[in-house]
Amino acid sequence: MNPELQPTTEPRRAALKVRGVSKWYGAERVLADVSFSIGEGESLVILGHSGSGKTTTLRIIAGLEKPDAGEILLNGRHIEHLRARERNIGVIFQNYALFPRMTVTENICFGLRIRGVRRTERERIAAEMLGLIGLTDQSDKYPGQLSGGQQQRVAIARALAYQPALLLFDESFSALDPQMRGGLRREIRALLRQLRIPALFITHDQEEAMELGDQIAILNRGQLEQIGAPEQIYHHPRSEFVAAFLGAANIIDLQLLAQPPLVADRSASAPPGRLLFRPEEVVLQPLPAPVEAPFLLGAGRVVEVGFAGATEWLNIELDLPAPRPLLIRVSRTRWESRQLRLNAGDPVAIGLRTFQILE
Amino acid sequence: MVKTQSFKRQQEPPDLTGLVGMGFILLAMMPLVILPIASIFIFGFSKGPVHFWSALTEAPALHALQLSILTSAVATVCNVFFGVVAAWVMGRDQLRGSSALIVLISLPTAIPTAVAGFALLLLWGRSGLLGRFIEQTDYQIMFTTAAIILANIFVTFPLAFGVIKPALDNLDINYEAAAETMGATRWQTFRYVVLPSLRGAIITGALLTFARSIGEFGSTIMVSGNLAMRTQTAPLYIFAKFNEGDIESANAIAAVLALISFAIFSLIMLTKGRWGRWGRGR
Repeated sequence: MNPELQPTTEPRRAALKVRGVSKWYGAERVLADVSFSIGEGESLVILGHSGSGKTTTLRIIAGLEKPDAGEILLNGRHIEHLRARERNIGVIFQNYALFPRMTVTENICFGLRIRGVRRTERERIAAEMLGLIGLTDQSDKYPGQLSGGQQQRVAIARALAYQPALLLFDESFSALDPQMRGGLRREIRALLRQLRIPALFITHDQEEAMELGDQIAILNRGQLEQIGAPEQIYHHPRSEFVAAFLGAANIIDLQLLAQPPLVADRSASAPPGRLLFRPEEVVLQPLPAPVEAPFLLGAGRVVEVGFAGATEWLNIELDLPAPRPLLIRVSRTRWESRQLRLNAGDPVAIGLRTFQILE
Repeated sequence: MVKTQSFKRQQEPPDLTGLVGMGFILLAMMPLVILPIASIFIFGFSKGPVHFWSALTEAPALHALQLSILTSAVATVCNVFFGVVAAWVMGRDQLRGSSALIVLISLPTAIPTAVAGFALLLLWGRSGLLGRFIEQTDYQIMFTTAAIILANIFVTFPLAFGVIKPALDNLDINYEAAAETMGATRWQTFRYVVLPSLRGAIITGALLTFARSIGEFGSTIMVSGNLAMRTQTAPLYIFAKFNEGDIESANAIAAVLALISFAIFSLIMLTKGRWGRWGRGR
């Protein structure tokens, strides 16, 4: 296992440990030595494009698919050889997979019924679950009569009812209307905190990942690129892929810069590598005034200015003897744009608050 | 009655072309379909309901009806059971060669019913491939109720499977995965999740099989022996009475068979509306 992929947070007791899991479909390797862990009561979001292997990872943990290599431990117990039904894991499927011929209560009771829990006890738990998700008045409805958001909550209640050791969410928000997603995400996050059940989400939506995850793992073509807290991954991406996936990023080859920003505080020569900075870390100043930012990138000219609600975005061409025009993306708060109004064609000095060098 | 919601094209006020078109269709159907059915009832009741009733309640007539219903019911149970099991095994495990198997299962519908009856005779008859072994015991299959059931099973073999298989294929595979993650065994998943979702298809398949069985003639006449009060089914009774010139008796049973068919047809239409609604899950 690559030690660099270890999360940098303090050691914690892991509820789920996935070690060196690999999976091939024929000659194609869809998961390559994937390792991560989820602490007790924590949530991890696996973020990746379609085809990155995130669904396969979830299905392997759920026991719906077999890994070709690697081990999975749930609360210290090996589960990779167990059948799905023996793992005591709750899965919330993308379309919820609520049983259409069962009422909401019957759906919630299914896992308990299978476990031979007595009827009175089942009904007590179902009532409790319905209270938890705020659907007490919908108990006798069929899934087809519920909205998408209600179905999702029933799916969660159905998984929670039998007290699983882990919850897995398979793109559980993608079928919902964008306006509802935010509210439901916060609700689920609060619920998981309250019940202290470890959870794994998989998604391709970076906003969802940042909102739901105590940790985010970025999966790219079957390999974990990076794992860590959302802020850590956002501010210190280890690769261009991670930087570009989680938010917007400017990436410039250091060799192209006449005066790399590093000279402001370190030695003079331009090291090899690429300079990475977020659009909101750029400070624009009128020329020739000195830039009040820790690092000077150089001078440039505004090419385009646009309005994006809370922020303003600009495309700026750097004054560099580059073979092609070098454009960077900048976003400014309203306060910043009021301090210095800029229009297309205006020359500016460009500074950076923070940046990062990718090897 | 259950109202089914559907979003059809807006009902427009009837225009002349539409009315003429519909009139033409009805006119064409008159001699082909509508009048033949109507004449069963017109002739059946031409001598009054008392006469109709007495023709219907003659012992051979009643026996023929009972035998038809019994043999069709047994064949229906067998074929629905087979259809569910075959659809479950083939649909979910993707066996190698399953498409060839589907062709084989569907084959009986393509075989003429008289040929099917003849084939059964060749197998189970006195000197048949298997019949010769049964001949040594005291048992006999041909020219008994069992033969009629075998013939019914043969000619209606793929009907239930043909309805249940697509229904199972359309069932979201995640229902099974969800049940499994919740701790259900394969049997529990089938019993509590899959089977209830197939209810509509099972009912439709059963009704189709029964409707086809109860009217079966070609294969039955080959294998049953057509013995009144013993192996004479309702369609055979109609044919026998017609041959004897006893049109009233033939007519009474024909009317009853036609009514049973209408009833089954209405039930199929009704179940489609009733079970189609929640069938897809979302």
